[in-house]
Amino acid sequence: MSEKRILTAAEQPEAGAALKKSLEMTKADVVFEVRESNMRGRGGAGFPTGVKWNLAGAASGANKMVICNADEGEPGTFKDKLLLEKYASKLLEGMTIGGYAIGSSQGIIYLRAEYPYLVPGIMKVREELISKNFLGEGILGTDFSFDVEIRMGAGAYVCGEETSLIESLEGKRGEPRNKPPFPVNSGYLSRPTIVNNVETFVSVPYIILNGSEWYQDLGIGSCTGTKLFSISGDVENPGVYEFQMGSTIGELLEVAGVKDVQAVQVGGASGTTISAGELDRKLSFEDLPPGGSVIVFNSSRNMMDVLENFLEFFVHESCGQCAPCREGNVRLLDTARAIRGGKITSREELKPFFMLAEVMKLGSKCGLGQTSPNCFVDIITKFIDFPDGKGGM
Amino acid sequence: MSRKPEDIVSAAVVKHGSGREAVMGILTDVNRELGYIPEEAIKAAAKAVDVSNAEIYSVLSFYSFFSTEPRGRNIVRLCNTISCEMNGSSDILDAIEKELDIKTGETTADGRITLETTSCIGLCDESPAMLINDTPHTRLTPEEACKILAGLE
Amino acid sequence: MPNVSVTINGVTTSVREGVTILDSCKTAGVEIPTLCYHPDLSLAGNCRMCLVEVEGWKTLAIACVTPVTPNMVINTHSKKVRHARRTVLKLLLAAHNVNCPECERNKNCELQELAEKHNITFNEYQTSPKPSSIEEVSPGIMRDNSRCIMCTRCVRTCEELQSVAVIRPVGRSASVNISTFMDLGLNNVPCTQCGQCINRCPTGALFETSEIRQVWEAIEDPEKFVVVQTAPAIRVGIAEALGLPTDRTTGKMVAAIRGLGFDRVLDTDFTADLTIIEEGHELISRLKKVLVDGDTDTALPMTTSCSPGWIKFIEHKYPDLLPNVSSCKSPQQMFGALSKTYLAGKEGVDPSKVICVSIMPCTAKKYEKERPEMRDSGYKDVDYVLTTRELASMIQEAGIDFDNLHDEKYDRWMGDSTGAAVIFGATGGVMEAALRTAYEIVTGQEIPFEGLNIIPVRGMEGIKDAAITMPDKMASGFEFLAGVTLKVAVVHGLANTRKLMDKVRAGEVDYHFIEIMACPGGCLGGGGQPIPTNPTVRKKRSDAIYEEDAVLHFRKSHANPEIQLLYAEFLKEPLGHKSHELLHTHYTKRD
Repeated sequence: MSEKRILTAAEQPEAGAALKKSLEMTKADVVFEVRESNMRGRGGAGFPTGVKWNLAGAASGANKMVICNADEGEPGTFKDKLLLEKYASKLLEGMTIGGYAIGSSQGIIYLRAEYPYLVPGIMKVREELISKNFLGEGILGTDFSFDVEIRMGAGAYVCGEETSLIESLEGKRGEPRNKPPFPVNSGYLSRPTIVNNVETFVSVPYIILNGSEWYQDLGIGSCTGTKLFSISGDVENPGVYEFQMGSTIGELLEVAGVKDVQAVQVGGASGTTISAGELDRKLSFEDLPPGGSVIVFNSSRNMMDVLENFLEFFVHESCGQCAPCREGNVRLLDTARAIRGGKITSREELKPFFMLAEVMKLGSKCGLGQTSPNCFVDIITKFIDFPDGKGGM
Repeated sequence: MSRKPEDIVSAAVVKHGSGREAVMGILTDVNRELGYIPEEAIKAAAKAVDVSNAEIYSVLSFYSFFSTEPRGRNIVRLCNTISCEMNGSSDILDAIEKELDIKTGETTADGRITLETTSCIGLCDESPAMLINDTPHTRLTPEEACKILAGLE
Repeated sequence: MPNVSVTINGVTTSVREGVTILDSCKTAGVEIPTLCYHPDLSLAGNCRMCLVEVEGWKTLAIACVTPVTPNMVINTHSKKVRHARRTVLKLLLAAHNVNCPECERNKNCELQELAEKHNITFNEYQTSPKPSSIEEVSPGIMRDNSRCIMCTRCVRTCEELQSVAVIRPVGRSASVNISTFMDLGLNNVPCTQCGQCINRCPTGALFETSEIRQVWEAIEDPEKFVVVQTAPAIRVGIAEALGLPTDRTTGKMVAAIRGLGFDRVLDTDFTADLTIIEEGHELISRLKKVLVDGDTDTALPMTTSCSPGWIKFIEHKYPDLLPNVSSCKSPQQMFGALSKTYLAGKEGVDPSKVICVSIMPCTAKKYEKERPEMRDSGYKDVDYVLTTRELASMIQEAGIDFDNLHDEKYDRWMGDSTGAAVIFGATGGVMEAALRTAYEIVTGQEIPFEGLNIIPVRGMEGIKDAAITMPDKMASGFEFLAGVTLKVAVVHGLANTRKLMDKVRAGEVDYHFIEIMACPGGCLGGGGQPIPTNPTVRKKRSDAIYEEDAVLHFRKSHANPEIQLLYAEFLKEPLGHKSHELLHTHYTKRD
């Protein structure tokens, strides 16, 4: 596996080509093609996009919604910003195809508050697409209409969780909902709703144009396609890279120019922290779940600094609704500080906090609390020495 | 002369509608124009979408970008998440605090600048970075950051 | 919904598809701990106490919101579940002010009970003790957020049951707390002081503003003539507040209160009967003005005015409809005004020495007595208000063995009661009492319901209504009502009230008279009543109230002998000069 630029290739397929092809297909065939491609959502959770579309298409309910999650907030992630900046045409085309597939005429881009400067560019692309009849009323002479509006977030990491995002769009606190019901049945304003990541929508036109088999050939096993990675930290050439699924983290780091590795955080603060000895692990949902972010730490970095920074982030960003996440992250941060302050000096004393981490993973309401303890467990287990051995159970 | 909070809300309602789902748009418009969301705007928004004042207050208190405290003409948001931190954002924060003689979360006496730190703003490859109002500034050094702030109206 | 088979802790059972894991476990006799769950409220799923293991799931499931699916295999006390529950519980306790002996809810706290059940003797997550911090003070309700566990039951109560929505989560993450608009406090926002939030708080984060100390000091002051009035719903709540089974215990209650040292033990039931006479005449007079005089300024439907939570609600939310509210003071305030005039005269005491204490099922009564207009006797009409819970606390402090007391009777002049007054404590009771009296006044006949039981206005349905057609032959002076169909409605809970008042405002309903109680179930479910409250508890209290009505000698307000004496000797006539001076009031538009 290797670097392969498709979404970010210099040569781009003509705008509207995939949409044109989609409108010549039945809705069911469009959903089928996306499902067969095996593409899994690019936001991090990895739910199969075609399955989601199929459920929303089959759901009963009027005014179905297509929502683009452009609230990338995972520390170290900026790949969606690149897509929104340079490839908005493909994004809007992907959303429009999604609208056609599930029977929706209304799309919303939920854009994070930190990216207001991207709005004019996206709106300009929208105007262009409308002028070409790729968006708006009666698209390409059919009776299918679809339009997209941008709605701004206001600074809340948790709104990247799809039900929080929907709550926020409804004018509420961005607190995750209980599931079921799932958004495909009852999402925005109780309408059947698909929420997909920017990268997911941008990938759709390529799947339609080239076919699901072509897409399946990219990647490894059930992890198909290419994936964008935002690389930052101790790296010579930070930026966004596009690799096939299944590439190793080592391959990625080589291209980005990394010489000295102590640790790599894959998938952001809520992802997995690996040590220099794990660079042959594959970026795939089965091995090393590929969020959008890769942060490299060289040997001069104190990993406890990193842990404290991440936990401060989660303490700040937890929605505060459910007990394990609200109270748990605070305790994990207290513990990290206690280790640094020499108040916790043995693995034995850490046991209750590893138990806490486990309970947060098992019992929190949403992905935030379920993944925020990852950095605590990984960093203490892999990087911190105690007189009675490395941290961990 | 800036518009009254109630008038901003009225204009926002024309733009976003008076459904519950208009709340974020209304609050964003007020916050953007005034730098904060005053009590009168909350009341007007609550009335417009027919929910209690407490409900609107609750919603806005959830989001980092919204504030009920008056803020400066310019809002500086310096990223304090890991990639920026690794590239020296805390030195920049120290330099700015010293230069402006305020602490994080405060506003300069002349009402020119409010200084805040923020979670990741997606500029990690050009870190350290900050947003001033809607504009990103990247690859900062303490000197450069202070220079940029000095140029603010 | 068809039945499905589920396996709970190895036992396979059949439950209705779509019910929650919690409900199916309850049916199967398996107890699952909960905190944010409350049968009166929507599901929040935020405390995570009810975590259970479902085979095939990566994470644990929360029992309160997760519906069962066919062949679901549920384990409610696996090692994983046990560890998770203990950890969640410890986290909640770590963020909680655990100074239990100094808490109003000591020994009646759901968090404390769970800690005990789970044998939490040591808490690794307790970093530093949380000091008490009284965050909000209002005449009826206080809040100490150091005891709050963010279950949001109060928030949901305020919004869903009462449609008041003055408390909401504010802030985010660990700094989130329950607060009011701009953190102004309950006293400075449109809070109705109904106290329903207190009744549903699992801990002691919400409690009434206590006046126990002031009442003891009054009792202990030999200069003072301390009279006490007991609201209708206390007699079915006090036993429960003392940890005894729900029952009507009027005689024991009188004995216990007398045992505390009050100079006179009297009954708000007496002024409940008085309210019926005054309000009944007011209704008839309004009907006459509209039907005979064609007066367009007289507002109909007329609504009741005895629930102070309702009064504050309408002052904030429907000020345009204030003319519809009966001008009658509530029974509590009528009692207060008479205690310092009529009663002082009868007892031959200096009215300035009279201290009037009410025992109320209500926190809004604490607010009501502070209203500046409630001083028509020349003094503050009611000095102190205790909730049912505060009375129980005083009885316990005095070491009175309630269960073994002999029944005693109320003192005279303002102690007589009727069944009509007793049922004021239940939703529909005021309406039933009013109909029993008003019908008889205008027709000269008893209302034609078997045993005087007007069943259509009873029960726990949110909005009830009834229509009663007057006979052709009326009592002298009331011929204008012959053949008229009187339309009435009964509503309880402010969310239901809002629905009905919207219709009244829009002119979509043509009722003549509406009974409105702020609290679900009426006063028996009031904010000052024993905790917990839920549909089962309220049904029991309601049953006890209607039992008391059935056994009383007098069932109609106008039959109350002391009421007859009061009119003969003091008031002279309903809606007369003295009545207007002492028993009627006006209302204030509020923002």
